[in-house]
Amino acid sequence: MTSPQLEVRNLTKSYDEGRIEALRGVSLTINAGEYIAISGASGSGKSTLLQLLGGLDVPTSGEVLFENASLGTAVNLDEYRAHRIGFIFQAFYLLPTLRAIENVQVPMLGVSGNASNRADRAEVLLREMGLEHRLTQYPNELSAGERQRVAIARALANNPSILLADEPTGNLDSVNSARIMEMLTGIQQKRGMTLIIVTHENDIAHAAPRHIRIRDGRIEP
Amino acid sequence: MPSQLSFTGFAWKNLWRRRLRTLLTLLGIGMAIGAFVALVGFSRSFEHEWQKLYSASGTDIAVVDKNFMNSSVNQSLQGKLRAVPVISQAEPMIFNIMDITPEVNALIFGWLDDSYEFNSLTFSSGGRFHNGKPEIILGELLSKNLNKKVGDTLDLQGSNYTVTGIFHGGTGLEAGAVIMPLDQLQVLSSLQGKVSGFHVRLKPAPIGESAAHYLKRAQAEIEAALPGLNAQPAADRASNNQFVALAHAVAWGTSCIALLMGILGIANTMAMSVFERTREIGILRAIGWKAWRVLLLIQVEATVLGFVGGFIGIAFGWGALHLLSTLPQTASIVSTSLSLGHFAEAMGISVLSGLLAGAYPAWRGAHLSPVEALRHD
Repeated sequence: MTSPQLEVRNLTKSYDEGRIEALRGVSLTINAGEYIAISGASGSGKSTLLQLLGGLDVPTSGEVLFENASLGTAVNLDEYRAHRIGFIFQAFYLLPTLRAIENVQVPMLGVSGNASNRADRAEVLLREMGLEHRLTQYPNELSAGERQRVAIARALANNPSILLADEPTGNLDSVNSARIMEMLTGIQQKRGMTLIIVTHENDIAHAAPRHIRIRDGRIEP
Repeated sequence: MPSQLSFTGFAWKNLWRRRLRTLLTLLGIGMAIGAFVALVGFSRSFEHEWQKLYSASGTDIAVVDKNFMNSSVNQSLQGKLRAVPVISQAEPMIFNIMDITPEVNALIFGWLDDSYEFNSLTFSSGGRFHNGKPEIILGELLSKNLNKKVGDTLDLQGSNYTVTGIFHGGTGLEAGAVIMPLDQLQVLSSLQGKVSGFHVRLKPAPIGESAAHYLKRAQAEIEAALPGLNAQPAADRASNNQFVALAHAVAWGTSCIALLMGILGIANTMAMSVFERTREIGILRAIGWKAWRVLLLIQVEATVLGFVGGFIGIAFGWGALHLLSTLPQTASIVSTSLSLGHFAEAMGISVLSGLLAGAYPAWRGAHLSPVEALRHD
C-alpha cells in the first residue's frame, strides 16, 4: 500500500482571534496523481483549505503532511511552494509589467538554469498552451482565456507534482471555461500530476473523479 | 529568440512602471550626490591649492600657536627661531580673508619685502612692495576683477595703497590674493607686533638621516626652543588650517544633509512601491519566491536607484564644478577633473544610500504573509 501524497489531519483555521472559524477539524488524504474537486458555498472554507494545502498559510491547529512530512516544520513552506506546488488563481494574477513569456519565467528566477534555458522552457510551456503567437504580449493585451493559459504555464514552470486551482474558470465565459478545464485535465493525465480544483460550479465539481463538498468548515459526509 | 527575464531586468521593469516617480527619485538622489561631488570637490581643490602654496614657496614647516585655530604669535620670537640650528630661513607672515569691496573678498598675506616666499611669484608687471610703505601687490585674477594695474591705488579700510606689482603665482589662491608689507597689515588688522606664524625652511638634511626623520627632529627642536608654539609640517598645515577645515566641514555638513534628503526620497519611493505591490508580492510568494528573494528584489530596486542616481549626481557635480571654474571668484581654485577616488567615493555613497533606504521597505515586503498579501486590494 502506497502512502498518500497529502494528508490533512484534524485541520482548523480561525481568524479574528478565534471569532471566525473557516475550517473545523478537516481530515482527508490525497494520493499522487488524483484529480479532486472541492466545492462549497461562498465562505464555506474551501479556498482556505486550498491555501493550507498549498503552504500559503499555516493552520491554527492540526497539520498537513506532504509525503509523510509535516508542512511548516519538516517541510519548508518556501521550498514546498517553489518545487512541489503550482498555483492557479481565479483572477490570474499575472504581473502587468511583464510579457507573457516573462511572466512564465518569474517562478524560475533563482530556481533553475540560466536566463536562456528559462526563456526556452517558458516558450515550450506557452506553445503547449497554444499561445505561441502571444509570447510577447502584455497581460492587458490578452483575452481572459489567454491570461489563464499563461497562468497555467506559469504554474507548471518549475515542474511541480501538485496543481492547485482556485476557481480557475470563475472569470471566464463557458467556451473558455470548457477549454481551460480540458487543458487542466489533459495536463493532469499527461504528467500524472495531482490536480485539486476549488470550484462553486457543479458541472466542474461533478466531472472530477473525486468530489469533496465543504459546508461551514467541515467536509460533508 | 524568446525574451529572457533576468533578476535585475525584473527589478528595472518594476522601477520603470512608475516612470515619473522613479525619475523624480533619481533626480533627488542625483542632486544629493551632485552636492557631495561639487562641495567636497571644491573643498579638496581648496586644500590642494593650499598644499601647492606651501610647496611652491619651499616652506618645510609652519610655526603657529599651539592652542588657537586663529593663530597669533609674537613677531619678536623670530630671532629665537632663527637661532635653532636646523633652520635656514624663518619668515614671519600674516594671512587672513578681507572684504576688498562689498562684492569681492580675497586672501590677504603680510610678508617682509625680502621674504623667500617671493621666489614662487612671477611679476607680469611692476615688482615688490617695500616694508613700511602703503604698497601692495595683486594676483592677476584679483587685479582683473578689481580692474587695477600698477600705479593705481586701492582703498582698504579708508587707507590708500599703491599697487606696485601684478603677479601670477604657483597657486590659484595667490592669483586671487593681496600681498602687502607685514607692518602695514599689522596696522590694518590691529595686530601690531603679532603675526599668524612663521614659515620655515630647513637646512638640508644631514647625510644618512632620512627626510622624514629630519623633519620630525626639526619639529621637536623648534617646539623645545619655543614652548607654546606648534611646528607643523607644511603639508599638514595645508590640510589643517582653519580655512581648509572650515571648507571641509561646510562641504561634508551640507552634503550629509543633502544625502539624508536623498535617502529619505528613495525610502519613500520604495515604501510606496512595496505598499502598491503588496498583492504582487503575495503572488511572488505563492508561485515559489522565498522571503529573502523578495527582500533581494526590493533591495536591488533601491540599489539601482542609488547606482543610477550616483551617475546623475556625478554629472550634476561635475557640471557645478565646471560652472564654478568659469566664475571669476572661484576659477583659480576649482578643478573640474574628478579623481577616480572621488568618483568611486560618490558612487559608493550613492549605492550605500540606496541600500540603506531600501532596507526597511524590503524587510516589510519580505515579511508579508502570502495570503494577506494576495487579499490586498
